[in-house]
Amino acid sequence: MSESTTQSQDDAQSTTDDAAASATADATAGTTTGRDASADHTTAGETDEELREEWTQYSFEGEPKLSVEDLDVYYGDDHAIQSVSMDIPRNSVTALIGPSGCGKSTFLRSLNRMNDRINSARVEGSVQLDGEEIYQDGVDLVELRKRVGMVFQAPNPFPKSIRDNVAYGPRKHGELRTGLVARLLGRDDTEKEDELVERSLRQAALYDEVKDRLDDNALGLSGGQQQRLCIARCLAVDPEVILMDEPASALDPIATSKIEDLIEELAEDYTVVVVTHNMQQAARISDQTAVFLTGGELVEYDDTDEIFENPESQRVEDYITGKFG
Amino acid sequence: MSLGTRFDSQGTLVAEESAMREAVSGGLAGLAFASFILGVLSLFQYLPVDATVAGVTVSAILGGGLTLVGAGTVGLGLTSYAGRFETSPGHTGGLASAVFIGSLWFAVGGLVAAQTLGLSTLWPLLALLSGGVAAAVALVAREDLGVTLSAGLFVLLSGLVVLTGVVGPGWRWDPNGFSIVATGTVGVPVIALFAGLVGAWVAARVYGGFGAQGRQTGAYVLVGTNAAGMLALLVAVVSFIVIRGWAPMTEGIRYGLYWGPVTWFNPPVLDSWVIVEGPILWFYWPFVMEGYGLNIPIDGVLPAIAGTFWLVVGAVAFAVPLGVGAAVFLTEYAEQGRFTFLVEISTNGLWSTPSIVYGLFGLAFLVPRLGNTPSLLSGQLVLGFMLLPLVVITSRESLKSVPDEYRDASAALGVSRWETIKSVVLPAAMPGVVTGVILGVGRIAGETAPILLVTTSSPFSSEVAGVVQGGFGFVGSFPFVTVPTLDLVQSSNALPYQLFAIIGAGLGENLDFAWGTALVLLLVVLSFYAVGIASRVYFRRKLNA
Repeated sequence: MSESTTQSQDDAQSTTDDAAASATADATAGTTTGRDASADHTTAGETDEELREEWTQYSFEGEPKLSVEDLDVYYGDDHAIQSVSMDIPRNSVTALIGPSGCGKSTFLRSLNRMNDRINSARVEGSVQLDGEEIYQDGVDLVELRKRVGMVFQAPNPFPKSIRDNVAYGPRKHGELRTGLVARLLGRDDTEKEDELVERSLRQAALYDEVKDRLDDNALGLSGGQQQRLCIARCLAVDPEVILMDEPASALDPIATSKIEDLIEELAEDYTVVVVTHNMQQAARISDQTAVFLTGGELVEYDDTDEIFENPESQRVEDYITGKFG
Repeated sequence: MSLGTRFDSQGTLVAEESAMREAVSGGLAGLAFASFILGVLSLFQYLPVDATVAGVTVSAILGGGLTLVGAGTVGLGLTSYAGRFETSPGHTGGLASAVFIGSLWFAVGGLVAAQTLGLSTLWPLLALLSGGVAAAVALVAREDLGVTLSAGLFVLLSGLVVLTGVVGPGWRWDPNGFSIVATGTVGVPVIALFAGLVGAWVAARVYGGFGAQGRQTGAYVLVGTNAAGMLALLVAVVSFIVIRGWAPMTEGIRYGLYWGPVTWFNPPVLDSWVIVEGPILWFYWPFVMEGYGLNIPIDGVLPAIAGTFWLVVGAVAFAVPLGVGAAVFLTEYAEQGRFTFLVEISTNGLWSTPSIVYGLFGLAFLVPRLGNTPSLLSGQLVLGFMLLPLVVITSRESLKSVPDEYRDASAALGVSRWETIKSVVLPAAMPGVVTGVILGVGRIAGETAPILLVTTSSPFSSEVAGVVQGGFGFVGSFPFVTVPTLDLVQSSNALPYQLFAIIGAGLGENLDFAWGTALVLLLVVLSFYAVGIASRVYFRRKLNA
């Protein structure tokens, strides 16, 4: 692909995941033929190599929870995600790994249409949740995001009490009535709310640490506790899928290990998709791993053990052994 | 400066010479600062230059002090240059210092050439020469020599000029072409102010041992003096008003505790009046509880207080919801682009529009439509128009400073934009909004010009404008309540206008009343501030508790 622009190493490292990647206009990029991601737009250290379709073929039993087909995302002229297709099985942990600026966060954000909030972003292709297309007219974003929750890189609790943080989503969705009117009409859900708060915090392995100070401001918690609070807040709206964007990257090792344990537990009841920079983390917690490399391409997607022990792509092997990225 | 010399000087920092240098330069800085303070006092005639203190005139004290400071700093610089003190001077005094000292000497040279020598057209040459030489000395010579010599000589010269009486109490200067006359009572203090400040600065640089530390101490002295001066100015203004206004404001206050009937009722069974007596606290403060009239023993400003209160309340009630709403729309909904930029420019412009322009608009547009009479309502609206841009500007700023993470987090939970604004964004922006309102209230509460045009009719009112007086009741027909005298379309007085009217009416002998009014106005504005600050603390605590 000689039309690709050259991207220096500095560029690749300074590009954020959101504003992703090189502006390649890969006209033939498709799923039918093997794609050529070679040439000169790779991160320094990457070898030239042709992509093969079978690398991203991953079969599993049962219906996929999320099914992505030919997804392209553009930021203005930047082609951030190039024709990615993958199926995500239910009740498992799927890790998305790759170097900075490879589009993995963008991919994650397109699973609950958070990219809609960015004016310059344009999404093409199809994402199906339980067989229902989420990129079509008439999709209720409120319902979609209730089903597909999200946890961000930096802990971002609201400047409210711990209780208010957890109960925020259900209250706003009208599932909990605790206001003055509800109290006057005898429809007060305070007990229900207490139960919900306790259950969510327990699921997020935070309840024992905060049970005596549920009415304290959430900003007074430590970073790790704040992140688990954000997970509890996400769980409180009872999602089916939880998207996590590098949830432990801003945390210390102890908090990180707590989050990792939590992710593994959550996978029993939820479908978890987690973006991470940390390959050891991906190897520890995930059931299957998708490797994105420079240019917003999905290079390989398979069982985590397979990816880390026997990668088919030379570039993936170079990446996970630390030769670049 | 090599690493070695720095370590050397650090090693001898506690040496005898260094301690002595610090003692001497510290004393000189103190003396210079004292001259500065004395200069301020004599400028404001608390200690006129020709007054004598312990047998010596203030002028001589100033001159002697400055001479000492000047000679002392030059001497310290020379001894430092000779290597007698361990200092760490830089290669140069620094460009900023050189420019500063150069402009001082430019002025000195110009004045001497034009006034003393009488050079009519050649003076700029001499001024440039002296300024250039001083700047060059400060720039080229080693720091300890350059700065002390150029600035210290300036202090020394100023001191000598005052000490020898060249510029003394009897000095007079009427420069050609200016219709002003400078006398010694002003000239000596001004020289003392300048030279004292420069002396303190140089002495502080010596105190710090020149170099980075010296520049730090010098800057610290200048910045500290500046801050102290600002504070002193504020304290002076407020205490001036308090001192003059206290007596008229508190005139005739009477209070006491007496025994009297607290309540009485007539139970049907008893069929006689039961009177409950108890202690009653009685308080009478005529200045703020009375109006202005012939039959009132001590005139008061109650109508004006009530007017100001209603004006501010009305303006805030009008402008805050509108302004915050506009800010929410512009920040959260409107696409950031040319339109919002234009709105931003015009709100900034509106905020700096002179108040009399708003007043004229109110007079021409509002008054004819609102009962064709000066009225409280017009005043509230005009002041609301004035407050609106500030509320928009500050609310926008504080909405913008709410982290986007909150909005993202809320959106990811499936919460709609309006719910997010209502329950996350606005609470987080509230302290900033309240700060803006506090600032705005301070301005509109003291506004005279628009009030004069649209609200007031008589300068001295005896009656409070009856906005909610009496008669509130429920009735059987729409709108089911009746407030017979809810009357916003009536003229009212306001404190700033009252103040203006008293002074303008030429009640020269009765300026006490004006001072009292000014103090009350100050207190009213401060109590609005107190309400605002309390609510800001409340909202902030809700966010951070």
